Formats: sequence, structure tokens, C-alpha cells
Amino acid sequence: MTQIQGNDVHKLVVACEAGMGSSVLLVTQLRDRLKDTGVEVVHSPVSQIPEDADVIVSHRGLEATARSLAPGKVVVTFDMFLGDPAFDRVVGAIKDGTTLEG
Amino acid sequence: MTTALLPAEGIRLGLTASDRFDAVRMSGEVLVEIGAVDPPYIEAMLERERGISTSLGEGFAIPHGTEDSRRHIRQTMLSFLQFPAGVAWDDDDVIVCVGIAAVGDEHVGVLANLARVLSVPEQAARLRSAERIEDVLALLGADAEAVT
Repeated sequence: MTQIQGNDVHKLVVACEAGMGSSVLLVTQLRDRLKDTGVEVVHSPVSQIPEDADVIVSHRGLEATARSLAPGKVVVTFDMFLGDPAFDRVVGAIKDGTTLEG
Repeated sequence: MTTALLPAEGIRLGLTASDRFDAVRMSGEVLVEIGAVDPPYIEAMLERERGISTSLGEGFAIPHGTEDSRRHIRQTMLSFLQFPAGVAWDDDDVIVCVGIAAVGDEHVGVLANLARVLSVPEQAARLRSAERIEDVLALLGADAEAVT
């Protein structure tokens, strides 16, 4: 587990295996919810997570891969694509400037 | 060349599938028929489905291939298959499979529209129960054309 302050999040990366399906959908939803915060939200295959990512959001099934390919970064995992509480946790921490663990 | 991302012939309504893998295979076969992918892509879609389910909730799934299978994609396109009786899928019943073949980001707009439709339950219900191809295209805002 690592942590980051919500105010320090500038780039959020949604990572999935192929980077063509679920991550694209989630980026839209998170971008809508974070549109007033200035946080950049992008999607990526888990194998190509950008160096400057502050927070990585990925499906639980990809957590180990994400952690090994992006060591030291906060990785927030979810189980459900729609309505998972993990998304509320990320959005809440960024908007309120609180601590995000993952 | 100009091609629709989600051409009318890629939208198939009123289908039945024996199980989720049958539904994924059918989604891939339509992608082959509309010229989006070569047949080996279908096996990659099944492989991906066996790994992490592409069921989204709200009765929708988005079957697609793996990163490694991008080489079997000819052009970025989507298919839309509706199974009114539902297909058992994890804890959900999937009514609609949106099959995805993407080499770039051309499809992001259509998937963004899908994400927004799914966040409004009445719109998601309309898309699940659509009886005309035009209604599907209108709800997904997919009548726009993409240059490839």
C-alpha cells in the first residue's frame, strides 16, 4: 500500500489489459466527475502505464501486473465497472484533498 | 476510405445465444463479417472473457480481444448484438454485447456515449429494448462517420 494526497494527483490512468474497452468507458465516467479539478484522466494498456501517472485505477484481476509495472504508485482496484465504491473513493479524495491509499 | 464505426449491418437485434461464450463468439463473427477483424481475433475475445469478464452491469457487456490480438484488427469498428431473453453472465443477465475491435482511439466517442447512456437507467433500458437499428444508432450517437 502506498498513499498520495488528493491535491497531488495530476494524472489518473485507467489501465486495462488491452486498453480498448473497459478503460475507455471508465475514463469517460471519471473525466465527467473530475472535470472541474484539472486532473488529467487517460486510459492505457496495463503494459504501457505512463511514467508520470500519479494514480492508477485498474480491475482487481490486473492489480498484480499494474503494481509490478508501476512500482511505488498508488493502485486503486475495482470489481464492478459500474458503481464500484472505489470510484467514489478516488473522486472524493481528489475533490476533498484527502489521503488516497491503494 | 470512410467507414462507419458502427455500421447498420453490424447491429443485430433479437438474437439468442446458448451461453456467454456463444454470445462473445457471435459478437466476433459479426466483426469479421463487417470487415473489422480477421477470424483469429474471435479466439482472443474468448480468451479475454475467460480471464476478466467484460460484463459491465445494466445488462451490457463489451467483449473485445487482448492487446496481443490487435494485429488481427483491420480497422476500428464495433458490433452491437441484442439478446432479448438475456445471457447468463457472472451475476448478471446480459442483453446487449457491444463487440469492440480498436487499433486507435476512433471509437472513444461512441464508447463515451455508451458510458453516458448506462449512467441513466431509462436510457439504458431503451437501448436494451431497441427494436430498430436507427434507435440504436441514435442512442449511441454512432451515425457519425470515422475516417480511416
